[in-house]
Amino acid sequence: MGGFLQYSPRESYMHNLDPRTKFVFFLVMALLTSIIRSGVALTFILVVFIVLWCACGIGEYLGILLSKLKALIIFISLVWLILGMFEINETGSAFLDIVVARQSWNFMGNTLSFSFELYDIYKCYVLSIRVYLMVASFYTVILTTNFSEIILGLNKWRMPNAVSFGIGLVFQIIPMIISEFFAIMEAQSSRGLEIEKCKAWQKMKNYVTVSFPLLFRVLAKGHAISLAMYYYKLNFKQSRTAYKAIKASGKDITFALLTVISAAGAIVLNILFNIGA
Amino acid sequence: MSFDVKNITYRYAENSKNILEDVSFSVQEGAVTAVVGPSGSGKTTLINILSGVIPTLMPDGVLSGSFDVAQNISVSVVSQTPENQLFGYGVEDAIAFGMENMGLDSETMHERMEYVLDLFNIQHLRNRSVAKLSGGQRQAVCIASVLAMQPDVLIMDEPVSSLDPNGKKLVQTILAQLRASGQTTIIVDNNLEWSAGIVEHVVGLKEGKVVFDGTKEEFFSDHEVQENLGVTLPQEVLIYHKIKHAFPGMNMFYNIPDARKEISRFVEKREREYTAEKEEIEPILTTESLKQTFADGFNALIDINSSFAKGKVTAILGQNGSGKTTLVKHLNGLIKPTSGRVLYLGNDIRGKSVAEISKDIILVFQHPEHMIFEQTVKDELSFCAKAQGIGVDEAEIEKILKDYELFDDREELPANLSMGKKHVLTILSVLFSSADVIILDEPTLGMDWELKGKLENIISYLIEKGKTVIMISHEFALVFKVCDRMLVLNNGVQRFEGSREELLADRAVFEDLNLPMPAVVQLSREFGFEKIACNLDDFLTEILKAAGKEQA
Repeated sequence: MGGFLQYSPRESYMHNLDPRTKFVFFLVMALLTSIIRSGVALTFILVVFIVLWCACGIGEYLGILLSKLKALIIFISLVWLILGMFEINETGSAFLDIVVARQSWNFMGNTLSFSFELYDIYKCYVLSIRVYLMVASFYTVILTTNFSEIILGLNKWRMPNAVSFGIGLVFQIIPMIISEFFAIMEAQSSRGLEIEKCKAWQKMKNYVTVSFPLLFRVLAKGHAISLAMYYYKLNFKQSRTAYKAIKASGKDITFALLTVISAAGAIVLNILFNIGA
Repeated sequence: MSFDVKNITYRYAENSKNILEDVSFSVQEGAVTAVVGPSGSGKTTLINILSGVIPTLMPDGVLSGSFDVAQNISVSVVSQTPENQLFGYGVEDAIAFGMENMGLDSETMHERMEYVLDLFNIQHLRNRSVAKLSGGQRQAVCIASVLAMQPDVLIMDEPVSSLDPNGKKLVQTILAQLRASGQTTIIVDNNLEWSAGIVEHVVGLKEGKVVFDGTKEEFFSDHEVQENLGVTLPQEVLIYHKIKHAFPGMNMFYNIPDARKEISRFVEKREREYTAEKEEIEPILTTESLKQTFADGFNALIDINSSFAKGKVTAILGQNGSGKTTLVKHLNGLIKPTSGRVLYLGNDIRGKSVAEISKDIILVFQHPEHMIFEQTVKDELSFCAKAQGIGVDEAEIEKILKDYELFDDREELPANLSMGKKHVLTILSVLFSSADVIILDEPTLGMDWELKGKLENIISYLIEKGKTVIMISHEFALVFKVCDRMLVLNNGVQRFEGSREELLADRAVFEDLNLPMPAVVQLSREFGFEKIACNLDDFLTEILKAAGKEQA
């Protein structure tokens, strides 16, 4: 199993798709999750994701993704919940308009209202699910497409070499930097730098100071990579050829059809249950 | 035909000193040339000039002289860290990368792919992920990826510096195949231990000047120049220089078969059985039924019951992936065991943080860049003591800096030191800590012959001060010279634990695990010396006894 935000090699339906099909899936899902406002429609997309990931043998990453996004989701939910409680909402839905608590005060001539309706919880749910789905659509591509395929797919879309190679390189370098960071933390704690039994501010300070050797390692790696690119005659002004060919197959057509059907279903549900958040 | 380096002089800035000065030599087409020299001799700068990095990517320096090659001649480099040079997820992606950049057509790329995979016998790796390869396999793929571009000259920069014995063997085989295929190759490495049998021509650099240019035979015969350049040589060559005066007429040898042949002219082989009694020890650190199973189900350590003797040097040996680093990370609490425990002076280390444990047990990592932390060499030296809240005597720091030739660099940024010096510095920084147990993970990485000598001194100094040293190393000559006890691991299982003498009596361990025995041990055993020698001085004593001669 690869780490978070890394390719996870395995033989699955999704892994064997043309990278371009997965890019399209990502774009469609990212667009849908940002424009769809209905909680029902977003729940439908979430179900599509769960079915898709489980069917493709990467179901365990649903939980991993949730645990990584937990703090962000809780933070966003709380912010919206608190903001929503100082606003009186009337959506027209008998259920969502149920008032849990409502109070008004006069403060220096201004009226302040506290109004906690079921809609506030609904709004938190919609925003949380939206954040989760946006990351999940990107994660679907990262989990099932290695950086060689990403470069190849982007090149096939006539993306400039420098851009596609740069994107591929980022995905090669991120795991490198993460493992370097942990190696440095281990090395420094082995020499007596306390990072376990200390106050939060001390821990943060130590993490920041560790960035010094990390910076040197990253710079050294960057230098070594640029030399290697020179040895390999990488020249973005010249056209590159490809050793491996990618070709869309019947699987891609089936997957594209499923994406279209899911997108249409989500749009229909968004129209039918148009309670925005 | 040859490629001529003519009067190259280079400095990085107008007003700085010359890094290379009037460097001239010829590289014979189809031959393997070694460029040797100590840290700071200008080897890396020379690689950059020969490969065209200077002046193409680094145009600011002042370069004169030339590397006379035709316009269409290509030079490519294999770096010492394949991780930085392999682009692509899979082996095929990585090998194809350079060819794709050259814009080769699909048919040519497939032909060359098959050629390099067959040449290096790595067809079985073609569908593997690069990240899952061993160090030696990665280096093999890296060389294949460069060779697929069909360079006229291939430069290899310290290609085995971080490899285990099996990895070294693989690269050694590849180098032999390159020579057989007529590939012009330059190896830039101050370690000729692994390539002695294949190299044909040696160029020695010191302080930016060529101080030796000749055949391998001429180089190996000249002990003075070898010492001057600090080259790590096959132990067979060192044996020859040690014993040649006692055996006039002995011919030069640099491998075991030749050594066997030459020594048998003077010494008769005897059959001898070696035995050793089990040594009683006072343990300082103990592991009890230690087991580690990783999240993916891999058993990294299986039931390790070991005891590390107080005040002794213990080596942990085994191939890459045998669990050596995983074990030492348990000893200082970096990894918590799945089951079992680690005891320091009889007390369980569980519940303590790694920093707390470091007051008793300190681990020096393999890559000094992970450890270097401070702004100056002087501050780095006292880092451990400061982290542990221990006062440091300025005079003592100064003495250590002077003893280990770091005094002139005391205000320098540690990251700017050579790899070997960085490693010495991180090891020296533990001298001022309170720890009784010092664990060194591959301490010889990037060290030349001279620095390895300094490492021996540091280890002796630590033992004199009553410390216990645990060392992971693939440098078997050094291990047998300085270590009292050995722990051998194989696939996470403890294969042997005991004194050096007990291991010497148990030949099967090395044979089963495919670990190379140092030449002094191998020859002592083959000739049936009274005692198996573990270093050159003992070897001389034993061979003289066997030959019925008296030591002068």
